[in-house]
Amino acid sequence: MMRLVRRQIPIGVVIVTSVIVMSDYFFKITGTGPLVTMLTNWGIILTAFTLGFGAINLFYLHTRHIRRRTSGQWFFSIWLLLMVVVFAGTGILTGATSSTYTWLYNSSYFALSATVYSSLGFYMTSGIYRSLRARNIEALLLLITGTIAVMRNAPALAVAAPILIDMDKWLSEFVVTSAQRGIMIGAALGAIALGIRTLTGRETGFLGRLTEAEREG
Amino acid sequence: MTTTTQKKSIWDRLEAVPREALYALLLIFFIIPMVNPIGFPVPISDEVRRWYNTIDALPSGSAIMIDFGYSGGGEPELGPMAVAVYHHIFSRKAGLKAICMSTSIEGPLLWDKAMAEVNPSRYGANYGKDYIHIGYISGGEIAMASIGKDLRAAVSTDYKGVSLDTFSIMQGIANAGSFQLLICYTTGGDQSEGWVRQWYTPYKTPYLCSVLAMMVPTMLPYQKAGQIISVTSGAQAGQMEVLVKVPARGIKSADVITMTHLLVVGFIVLGNIAYYAKKFSGGSK
Amino acid sequence: MEFAELLQIWFAALFTVWIYSIAFRDNLFFKFAEHTFVGAAAGHSIVYGVDNVRRLGWTPLVQGQLIYLVAFILGIMLYTRYHSQHFWISRFPVSVMAGVGLGLSLRATVTSEFIAQILSTAQMKVLGVSPWCAGLYNLLFIVITVTVVYYFVFTFPRIHAGRLNWISRIARYGMMAAFGYSFANTILSRFQMIFGRLDFLMNSWLPLSGAVIALPIVLVLLAYAMIPASRRPWPKQLAATPSDD
Repeated sequence: MMRLVRRQIPIGVVIVTSVIVMSDYFFKITGTGPLVTMLTNWGIILTAFTLGFGAINLFYLHTRHIRRRTSGQWFFSIWLLLMVVVFAGTGILTGATSSTYTWLYNSSYFALSATVYSSLGFYMTSGIYRSLRARNIEALLLLITGTIAVMRNAPALAVAAPILIDMDKWLSEFVVTSAQRGIMIGAALGAIALGIRTLTGRETGFLGRLTEAEREG
Repeated sequence: MTTTTQKKSIWDRLEAVPREALYALLLIFFIIPMVNPIGFPVPISDEVRRWYNTIDALPSGSAIMIDFGYSGGGEPELGPMAVAVYHHIFSRKAGLKAICMSTSIEGPLLWDKAMAEVNPSRYGANYGKDYIHIGYISGGEIAMASIGKDLRAAVSTDYKGVSLDTFSIMQGIANAGSFQLLICYTTGGDQSEGWVRQWYTPYKTPYLCSVLAMMVPTMLPYQKAGQIISVTSGAQAGQMEVLVKVPARGIKSADVITMTHLLVVGFIVLGNIAYYAKKFSGGSK
Repeated sequence: MEFAELLQIWFAALFTVWIYSIAFRDNLFFKFAEHTFVGAAAGHSIVYGVDNVRRLGWTPLVQGQLIYLVAFILGIMLYTRYHSQHFWISRFPVSVMAGVGLGLSLRATVTSEFIAQILSTAQMKVLGVSPWCAGLYNLLFIVITVTVVYYFVFTFPRIHAGRLNWISRIARYGMMAAFGYSFANTILSRFQMIFGRLDFLMNSWLPLSGAVIALPIVLVLLAYAMIPASRRPWPKQLAATPSDD
């Protein structure tokens, strides 16, 4: 009974909801339209509920650091949790698009996010100089196409040497697109296979961690 | 155990340049053209021209769904592109309806930032009549499918919580079939590909997509198959600014990109010369 | 300029410089900025999670659509995942989400990423095209696409090492050429982002009074923070305290 409730019913829910959603696309069955609309709207709300998980996990991790007074970390953990509270409190109390919250976002989160993304550019430059070597045919091909594309991406070089534009266009149209298409078809086959496994109840990764009874087999 | 010290050749030294020196050199190549702009020309690519022509050819009164799906990290690249396209939409003065939503959690605030840069009032455009933002909608593809099927069932307010019924722009907007064009700016492959699956595939909505330059190769198969009219990168914003005749942040970066890319080519060449010269001269291991 | 805007620019500029300092060495200022980022991201997620629940769930509920009550109950059930014994209750809302997501993606993946791509490849003409080299290029396209699909579908080692290994080799060459192109685009992306931040520092922050003086002070403090703890006079590394678990 417990196995039915804790395992089989959730698997059944996945199968039933996905079949309903798919049948609305392929067939015209009266009643499935509003049902799918309701299910997708529920999906939106449930995803919104999951947005709190990150903060909860952070609280678990960093309160542990604070309790243990982890050397060189615990005061940063206090600051981190304070930031969570300040952002969440300001946003919820004054509104997600209020001028106060926008100020907070622009002065910290936006600047940090933009800078963190961009800082990888420095590591890439170091990697280009130290590691990008034509050691074999594959690496040579990567180097040649990469260099052509880098030169084409420099606007002035592309204007000065229009052949770069033609070479880049040829590369993107016939080499890059074809390879990416092959990868896409392969990935799609994998996704379809995974979907069919889930629909037949063979893929149960979404159930998360196992109960004691399930672990004992 | 005895150790022998070999004198380092020039190639060893070249290969072992400290990373701090490389970063400093990169910073110099960034700063010099910023302080002394050179004004390098910018070629207009086919993809940007196709994008421009698509918006230009929209009939009066067309509704455009715009997904502000990029995060703060992608704003320096995609922000200028979004701003340039808004300039184009508003300057057409053809009663185009720009209805925006966000699949990115930072989308609404970044939209505010973009609109402050665009300044729609200079075109006589008004919120709720010519443009609107219906807010961040969580769920990714679920959100796309939901608003494509029945927008008003999924969302009933704008991003500030005001009922959509109070805005004239939303009259007649019910689902994906109400839109003549879909535009997506995103830093996430799930979003750019999700729109193909949830809007183009079932409803055949014409789709323009602008992504980070590093994501363009993964989107090219869709463009080749005709599922996306044009895939551009945010880095091409300067070209769009030239076409809409509103130079801004995008065109400013052209000089810097040229200089830094020349440096990268120099690094590639020098690094490989040092490697092979060391190899053929039997340099120290 | 308003004081709030001034403060905003100063904070943003300092965070920018502190984050970039990691390219040289780890230091306290970077750690401070990093923890600010993580905390802000988590807080921001909560804000928009609440906003969505309120706008898209609560508003229709109070307008009379009582069926949304089920979504709220399922949403609350999600948080049972943190309970040591009753975490299995969270499987129900997860199943709804997984089922909806699976149905939506699967129904369109077959069309958009499989059939449409194969159709587009099959429509490429090899013979009877003008100029003649276009046919050759199309043939190259088809060959690379087919070999790459082969490479990923047939994954037994024998397939890639035997007499048919030339197929895998062509696929690898095609993919490496494509990855070189992607690599160049990644450089463009990252450099564009760096430009965005430097443009902000130079044109929004440095023109402010005091910023030109503050910049060298910030850089000196950063350089000092990068000195190993054992070598600098203050602050020394904090001694580890015993765990109270």
